[in-house]
Amino acid sequence: MILETIDLNGIQSFYALSNRLNLNDVLPNKVTIWKLRNNNPLRKSFVKNNIKLNEFDALIKITVEMSRYLYPYIREILKSKEDLKENSVTWIDFNKRFIELIKERFNLDSMRVKKLLNQAENDEIIIKSLLTLSLCISNKGYQKLKNFLIDF
Amino acid sequence: MQNKLLFHQSSVSLEIIGLPDYSNNENDDQISIISQWKLTIIDKPLIEGKVEHLVPIMNAFYIYSNLLIKNEIPLYESKLIDIKADNLHIHNIVLKSSKPNVKPLILKIGNSSLSDTINCFDQLNESPIVRIKKTGVFNIVPKKVRIGFNNKVKLFNLIMPPFIAICSLILFSSTFIYFYNPVEDKEKNELINPE
Repeated sequence: MILETIDLNGIQSFYALSNRLNLNDVLPNKVTIWKLRNNNPLRKSFVKNNIKLNEFDALIKITVEMSRYLYPYIREILKSKEDLKENSVTWIDFNKRFIELIKERFNLDSMRVKKLLNQAENDEIIIKSLLTLSLCISNKGYQKLKNFLIDF
Repeated sequence: MQNKLLFHQSSVSLEIIGLPDYSNNENDDQISIISQWKLTIIDKPLIEGKVEHLVPIMNAFYIYSNLLIKNEIPLYESKLIDIKADNLHIHNIVLKSSKPNVKPLILKIGNSSLSDTINCFDQLNESPIVRIKKTGVFNIVPKKVRIGFNNKVKLFNLIMPPFIAICSLILFSSTFIYFYNPVEDKEKNELINPE
């Protein structure tokens, strides 16, 4: 969701990257990616499908590649939050769009979603997610992100 | 002539100066004997030190960022470097000199500079040109993973044979318990020895 907030055409980029990373066997089309996204219990369209290990790996590889590609933006958003007086526009825009996406796609009755919508509480979640993505852009980023997610 | 290699990520650059180990038949562009390193963060004082300080400083950054992301208390302390979070966005770094009467260097960096610094260290770790004792803080696979993915089949194979063996033993011996009737046996004995 963080990556989709930055990249307005997120699903298209995800699919393009899966082609570039030769993950067509695992993610042959956009529908497969959409179905995998629906495994998130916070989404309105939540459907419980058991994610296979190769699908989990493919999603991590795409996330790392996309973070690498979006690193300048991720960095800019983090920086804008460090000094709100100087450069608050980037953070405010990002936060606004993130909340819009949450309202559009997530189940608003869930307590966890309500926490995400609360601007006083969601700062920490957003910053830690951005920081995690920004630390996984190296060649070994796939292993790093996998370890972070499993240890979460 | 010493070799110089620069790793750069946005606001941070890391310069490594050193020589190849000719006794190991290394190429001229290789750096195995590091004589100096410099870490430059824009708008902050230059950080430089001896080769033996580089790996502990890299480890400190890796461990600290790991703590930060895993929602644990973000605090790292050692003889050489302390890192702690001032708040969610600013990190306080104290670099202590090994020389006497030298005041520690205090830096405050934000999340953007922290991630730039760690990405520079990643580049150094992954560089085929510089030979350094690689830091593997992020490569440690969590215990959950080790059991959850890699050894799932092995664990199953390890537990199942003794489990099946114990079950078979119990089933087999239980048939003997039910077939043996001590009262009947006593009656038989009385018939053989009527006294």
